[in-house]
Amino acid sequence: MGNAPLLSVENLTMRFGGLVAINDLSMTARQSEITAIIGPNGAGKTTFFNCLTGFYKPTHGRITMTPPEGGSLPLHAMQGFRIAKQARVARTFQNIRLFAGMTVLENLMVAQHNKLMKASAFSLAGLLGLKSYRRAEDDAVEKARQWLARIGLESQADLPAGSLPYGAQRRLEIARAMCTDPVLLCLDEPAAGLNPRESQELNDLLLDIRRQNGIGLLLIEHDMSVVMRISDHVVVLDYGARIADGRPEQVRQDPAVIRAYLGADEDEPLPAVIARDLGEA
Amino acid sequence: MARPASLTHALKDAGLAAAVAALLALPMLGFRLADTATGLELETRLSWVPIAAAAVFAGRLLLNLAGPLLARWADKSLAGKPKLATGSKRRPLIIGLVLAGAAILLPLSPFGDRNILDKATLVLIYVMLGWGLNIVVGLAGLLVLGYVAFYAVGAYSYALLSQAFGLTFWQCLPIAGVMAALFGLLVGFPVLRLRGDYLAIVTLGFGEIVRVILLNWASITGGPNGISGIPRPTFFGLPMAANSPGHTTFAQFFGIPFSPVQRITFLYYVILALALLTNLISLRIRRLPVGRAWEALREDEIACRSLGINPTTTKLSAFALGTLFAGFAGCFFATRQGFISPESFTFLESALILAIVVLGGLGSQTGVVLAAVLLVGLPEWFRDLQQYRMVAFGGAMVLIMLWRPKGLLAERAPTISLNKGRG
Repeated sequence: MGNAPLLSVENLTMRFGGLVAINDLSMTARQSEITAIIGPNGAGKTTFFNCLTGFYKPTHGRITMTPPEGGSLPLHAMQGFRIAKQARVARTFQNIRLFAGMTVLENLMVAQHNKLMKASAFSLAGLLGLKSYRRAEDDAVEKARQWLARIGLESQADLPAGSLPYGAQRRLEIARAMCTDPVLLCLDEPAAGLNPRESQELNDLLLDIRRQNGIGLLLIEHDMSVVMRISDHVVVLDYGARIADGRPEQVRQDPAVIRAYLGADEDEPLPAVIARDLGEA
Repeated sequence: MARPASLTHALKDAGLAAAVAALLALPMLGFRLADTATGLELETRLSWVPIAAAAVFAGRLLLNLAGPLLARWADKSLAGKPKLATGSKRRPLIIGLVLAGAAILLPLSPFGDRNILDKATLVLIYVMLGWGLNIVVGLAGLLVLGYVAFYAVGAYSYALLSQAFGLTFWQCLPIAGVMAALFGLLVGFPVLRLRGDYLAIVTLGFGEIVRVILLNWASITGGPNGISGIPRPTFFGLPMAANSPGHTTFAQFFGIPFSPVQRITFLYYVILALALLTNLISLRIRRLPVGRAWEALREDEIACRSLGINPTTTKLSAFALGTLFAGFAGCFFATRQGFISPESFTFLESALILAIVVLGGLGSQTGVVLAAVLLVGLPEWFRDLQQYRMVAFGGAMVLIMLWRPKGLLAERAPTISLNKGRG
């Protein structure tokens, strides 16, 4: 656990009128670690992601990114697209947001937009068909091809993204986010709607990304089998506040977490089914 | 319409349509103001009402009975193909080259008489406008209802610059384009954060503002009288005229007798070159990162932001490029007509250009040509039909929307393909 901190959140608060969606949240995500954020429905997990990726402006607090190459970036004061471009935070969405009418390959090319824009000299070199741009485009295609091979979609590269099966769309969205060369990847319920086999493949993919690419992953997830198996660090939210923070096995036994999930009293024994589920996971 | 309709259902539906038609026909066809010697008189022609109702009844009945058959035929012949044409990548290119070749050879062919060339020039103006608007609406998905305003900016830029400073067409062509693009940026900057319907309404308003300014700023624009005597373009400095004091004319230079057809042919080639340039640039830019970003923005703006694409500058670049071409087209329009007035730049023109883009199939370059010929060319040829021209126009639009609801050519070709290299 000696990894350098990548993202630190201090006293983050997000209010919508009278509703406090996130209340004084502080946490850290580290490089080469998978940090899971769990919590009951409406706990503020997606709101937290939206603050992190610039879709919401936090009411209070600081979100600071410390990229491996040094420096620090205040995400709470940056525009959404700059967070992706400069702080290199990539994300996926709870309800998949692919460019459904474009092909699988095109989706991955759009993800490399900023790099290619620079190579095409803001379209001038591209319009003239200069060699430097062609080479950059070939590199981008090669990178896309490698990712397609990694998620097993190479043969479907030229099909519209919207025509892929659900599980493949989820994997493609992750590959698309990875094509932006992120240092932090935020995944909003990547296992939602996947069958057990696809869920297992997803686990392997995420572990693989952590190992090979050495980036930090931030994960919102309901599926405890995913969370408990792959995360290095779990943060539990309830009503917008952090109620637990630690290694998965610590969090699993935390009475506050059990109470939040079950709404039960601390001394009351867990129903057998749930005790077994938590134990198995 | 596609579900199998029973006869009684078809009859009932046709009866309802006939009733509506009769209701509408009563005020519209039943009464008419006639200009008689003693003044205006109300003329009744109630016999027209049942005729109209009967026509609608018959038409609707036919449509109800034949509709499913037609739909099945259309499915089989056209719409049944996969949305992305992967197998026939070379085909659109060949069709495009054949069309361009035919357009280049047209003045030399026996069909290329004065009348045809003149109409073809008009069609090409709309083809160019359609291609320009296609960048904004078809690729970037920004619904703009005031495109004609930028066309007007281009036209007035040339007219005013040539009058005030004596600049020639070729000097003004880039200026007119840049002026229109600057206006595009000026309008676009505050407006592009709006989406869909809101953007459409604001651009519609902008189109009207430009027209009203042109109409009322009489000291500069000549108001409703417009600007006349706009100079014609020269052929590398040689004027296309019978004689020109102090200049060698085109005919004199080449030692051939002057004929007005030369000028018309020349104008035809100028707009053909401009239109082909528009097409070439839009085809090429579609395959560049910025073009892909436009399409991606059309599909999902939020996902684009999460990938680090700046939505504002990306949309602005689409807007600027689209309006640049409108400016070029406007400049050409001014020089071709020799006279411009605000009347040429009404909302109807914007609607017509948008109709060309939508009916052609959003984003389809060949579709725009087809739709422009259909919507601009055919009404010109059928001027003999007089007032029924617009009925035919409306009818054609309804038919297209019925059988090709996504436009005439709705296929989207991928901009890049993994296994065959650049698409």
